[in-house]
Amino acid sequence: MSIINYASREIQFKIVYYGPALCGKTTNLGYIHKRINPENRGDLVSLATAADRTLFFDFLPLNAVVIKGFVTKFQLYTVPGQVIYNATRQLVLRSVDGIIFVADSQWEKMEENVESFKNLEDNLAKQNISIDEIPYVVQYNKRDLENVAPVNYLEYVLNNRKKRVQSFEVVSSTGQNVFASLNAVSQILLHKFSKQSDVPKTAPAPVAIPMEPPAVKPAGVAR
Amino acid sequence: MNAIPCLTIEDVANLDGVLGDFLQKAEAELTVVIDRGGNVISQFGDMTVMDVTIIAALAAGSFAATKELARRIGEIEFNALYHQGNGNHIFMNSVDDDTIMITVFGKRTTVGLVRFYSASAAQSVGALLKALSTGGHGFSFDASDITATPVFADQ
Repeated sequence: MSIINYASREIQFKIVYYGPALCGKTTNLGYIHKRINPENRGDLVSLATAADRTLFFDFLPLNAVVIKGFVTKFQLYTVPGQVIYNATRQLVLRSVDGIIFVADSQWEKMEENVESFKNLEDNLAKQNISIDEIPYVVQYNKRDLENVAPVNYLEYVLNNRKKRVQSFEVVSSTGQNVFASLNAVSQILLHKFSKQSDVPKTAPAPVAIPMEPPAVKPAGVAR
Repeated sequence: MNAIPCLTIEDVANLDGVLGDFLQKAEAELTVVIDRGGNVISQFGDMTVMDVTIIAALAAGSFAATKELARRIGEIEFNALYHQGNGNHIFMNSVDDDTIMITVFGKRTTVGLVRFYSASAAQSVGALLKALSTGGHGFSFDASDITATPVFADQ
């Protein structure tokens, strides 16, 4: 649940990285934490086992753009990917505003990818949310490995719903498309909330900053 | 998805009034009201001692993690949790189905005093938040307010 605070002039959003075990969710957050301006981020909190497997969640708070004088604050979470931690995944998904589904591109991980996506749908349904209602993008991670499935196959398996979403070829260890996917879901989220406006405007909208070409071309485009 | 919940300056002042009064009576350092997803709704006290955003995320996790434990002894959930340290402690209590109140306190006071005053403070906070959700005040922005430049920059 996003919250707008007029006193501190902040809007809060929650984005969750979801996907099967060892697909690179924590690596995504680690890269963002390492590369983003330290003034715009808090500490990366990782509740992991001794073997660096996520036990509870990873958490990274970020400050982002200013909209009409309000600072947007994004809270990034990862879920534990291991099948047994479903109760924890349900907890982390509570009040979620946007999702980045991280798929492992390797052929042998395909079944786990599909199971994890189904699990995401089921867990959202328990909160009475349909996956089609929530802003999300898909990452095809580990594109630097040799045994990866082609993108059109991954699209067929994981992004073949009535409404297809943006997808990205990602190498989270080097940062390829990590920020592009985060920016994409953030933009979709902000636009979705802008459409939810239900009160008359009290001030004229500021002039939009001219568009710049995107830094990285996504693998797929929302239709 | 519903419209975005808003805390007006008046709402925040009202919450601050309740939380400030509670902190003074309980002689605690800091109190934070969060939703069960880990979002900070309101905070009052010495915010320099810790990152409130992280405390909120971890406290929401801690509260939810003990729910299953509560079920094992026939409870729906624990209404309150207490984490005891050597000098600083955390007391968390449920405000309503969506909200939790976290209090950080040190050697100046006792858990009994914090627990006693937090019960009435939680009731007052719950009433304020209930009024908030039906208040109907909103915030609007449209697509042209969002710049096309990336939200986050890779440095």
